[in-house]
Amino acid sequence: MGKEADVKIAPNSFGVYLSKFTKEYMLVFAILILGLVFAVVSPYFLTVTNIRNILTQMTALAIVAIGQALVLICGAFDMSLGQNVCLTSCLAAFLMKMCGWGTLPSILAALLLGALIGCVNGALVAYLEVAPFVATLGTQMICKGTAKLITNASPIPGMPDNMAWLGRGNLGGSNGLPICIVIMLLLFLLFAFILKKTRFGRNTYAVGGNREAAYFAGINVKKHLTMVFTLTGFLASFGGIVLLSRLNSAAITNGNLYEFDTMISCVIGGVSMSGGKGKIWQAFLGAMFLTLFFNGMSMLNVNSFIQDVLKGVILIGAVLLDIFRNKKR
Amino acid sequence: MDKKILEIQHISKSFPGVKALDDVSFSVTAGSIHALVGENGAGKSTLIKVLAGIYHPEEGELILDGEKRVFKTPHASQVAGIRVVHQELKLVNTLTVTENIFLGNLKYKGHLVDWQAMEKAAQEMLDSMGVVIRANEIVENLSVAKQQIVEICKAINGECKLLIMDEPSATITLKEQEIMFEVVRKLKSRGVSIIYISHRLEEVFELADEVTVLRDGKHIKTLPLEEVDRKKLIALMVGRELVNEYPKIKVEIGEMALEARNICRKGVLNNVSINVHKGEIVGIAGLVGAGRTETVRAILGIDKMDSGEVYLYGKKIVNNTFEEAIHRGLGLIPENRKEQGILPIMSVKNNISIVNLGKILEKGIILEKRETRYAEEYTKKLNIATPSIETEVQYLSGGNQQKVIIARWMLQNSDIIIMDEPTRGVDVGAKTEIYELMNEMIKEGKAVIMISSELPEILGMSDRIFVMHDGDVVGELDVSEADQEKILAMCV
Repeated sequence: MGKEADVKIAPNSFGVYLSKFTKEYMLVFAILILGLVFAVVSPYFLTVTNIRNILTQMTALAIVAIGQALVLICGAFDMSLGQNVCLTSCLAAFLMKMCGWGTLPSILAALLLGALIGCVNGALVAYLEVAPFVATLGTQMICKGTAKLITNASPIPGMPDNMAWLGRGNLGGSNGLPICIVIMLLLFLLFAFILKKTRFGRNTYAVGGNREAAYFAGINVKKHLTMVFTLTGFLASFGGIVLLSRLNSAAITNGNLYEFDTMISCVIGGVSMSGGKGKIWQAFLGAMFLTLFFNGMSMLNVNSFIQDVLKGVILIGAVLLDIFRNKKR
Repeated sequence: MDKKILEIQHISKSFPGVKALDDVSFSVTAGSIHALVGENGAGKSTLIKVLAGIYHPEEGELILDGEKRVFKTPHASQVAGIRVVHQELKLVNTLTVTENIFLGNLKYKGHLVDWQAMEKAAQEMLDSMGVVIRANEIVENLSVAKQQIVEICKAINGECKLLIMDEPSATITLKEQEIMFEVVRKLKSRGVSIIYISHRLEEVFELADEVTVLRDGKHIKTLPLEEVDRKKLIALMVGRELVNEYPKIKVEIGEMALEARNICRKGVLNNVSINVHKGEIVGIAGLVGAGRTETVRAILGIDKMDSGEVYLYGKKIVNNTFEEAIHRGLGLIPENRKEQGILPIMSVKNNISIVNLGKILEKGIILEKRETRYAEEYTKKLNIATPSIETEVQYLSGGNQQKVIIARWMLQNSDIIIMDEPTRGVDVGAKTEIYELMNEMIKEGKAVIMISSELPEILGMSDRIFVMHDGDVVGELDVSEADQEKILAMCV
């Protein structure tokens, strides 16, 4: 009964807006504080070069995190994303370097494969009712193995020049705005819009919030889940291509552990692990926080094993914070 | 007989913004069945939680069996002899009956658990209840009613002075209900005092010796059941005279709207034919498992049928999926509001628009202003009590949640509305409001099919009644020729 008696403030007042914003995007403050700390300890941290660096570094992860956020909101999760990134970037490199394919067809083939992997995940989860963990773990291993097979587990360096613009090009001269950052931001804008303003987005929340009730509200739940997984697979392969262009090399370490890093990004950003709740920008902030954190740590020469430990601490800390916030309500 | 087992004196309990219990005093006669009734939000649950030691009242005293008690923890309440059987069963489904009954209260032989002794004791306890349940059965293999009885056994295992039952019949069927009533009466004859909470007034009159009415956190009245009739009790609960509990209106019956002929699903439905006209409410009565829900599921394309035909306004249709059925103008208010109905963490606004999103889309984009306008219109029209249309539906009471779901189909403007147990877990006042909405629908020339396990509702609101049993339609009655005995005789 007590729950119903919410505090009543005039709706749409600035106070409500602000409190809603801080609740949903608490990570903004964490990022500011973290940035401040690093700026104090390292004079190099707050330079334009470094900020550009951080943003460029986060592009692939952030693009894949959009997809992870979509499946999480839809009530599932995708363990295959990292290896999807790996396989699709390796495939594109393989086609270009070993098979003499043109750049565009190679990239399209990679994107198609990414979407196909997602589609298989979705079909397994939605129509054959395999648990998301098992289904996507299976495709993860298949991707990993296939990537090793086609590359023989050795790196393929030196991509054609005509795809360099994607990961290394700048708008407005060599010191301008990196194109991959622009693309990342545009993708976030696009998916924020899709989630908030379209039937597809609304249905994603409904399916994630209560799958059975979504069905009884007339939503084709199975088809929708499959579409979300497919889109997520596509985004992963797109992230893979951006990464390939940025690193100028395909290796089986591309995208390594992205499935977890994207999940951590989403969760610390505030996307609910139990589905039906979350915003696309929360995934963005999460990815930014992670990248920022490790950039700073590396700059301070913190041992990378310690960094792994800290990653775990951050994840658990963020989840605990979320639990406490929900309890207080 | 006049000894009091429990005296509640001037109990008050507040939550931020609400006074959940306001100076409540009454007493429970020892060895009686004491019904506790009131609408949602009347304070029943809060009172039980106070008795169970979960909430601590700011004021007032509890006197149990002549002794003043303060329960700091649920454990303290249990030790004092108060046991609660909650509405949602708290059994471990994968364990046996014995294991559940003795959970947290194991018997030992030396340092080892003595399963033999426990199984024997459990079986004796079950037998003494007069029900056939094997103590080594896994709980999930039992029917809900039998699970409930296991829950009761678990509660009274040990010294139990006062047993509190919170809506024990909410999820069980008519037939199983009798089994449970028997158990409750047996307990009474053994001298256990019982507080029985229920939304179904029929069972209050069937079981209870005395009744206490709460409303808005206040104690309204405690009186022996002989001194009150149904109408008066409702008036006490709602705080005003309900002119008519079942306000069914008659409108002109139009053409045949939906007709299902000879629907078969192997092992479930056996040549089922039902139909409904425009302007008509058709009730489907029967026990759970009779195939009522399965019939409408087959009609709506949710389950595949093996054979059979469906006609919409005389034209043959085939619904391959539920979506197709919706597009043809059929709507369903499903049986389990929590699992199948509400989208709990979405707002009232989003819950209302979810079926007919097309109405708020313009070139594929959601127009939030239009969505808000519809949400406001329908919350007002259906009298949905919610702090705001942005409130998550999970925080609304059962009746208001149900009205949100009805609003969906009104916004969709479905011609044929199928309601599966539309008033389950809904309190009296809201029930009548839902009936009024059904009236609205038939006034507009829509057709309504209502599945219900509550016979008074079937008799009070239907024009025509189909009775189902074991996957068969065993009778079709006009409401004028139907009564409870007739329907019950067909049901079993």
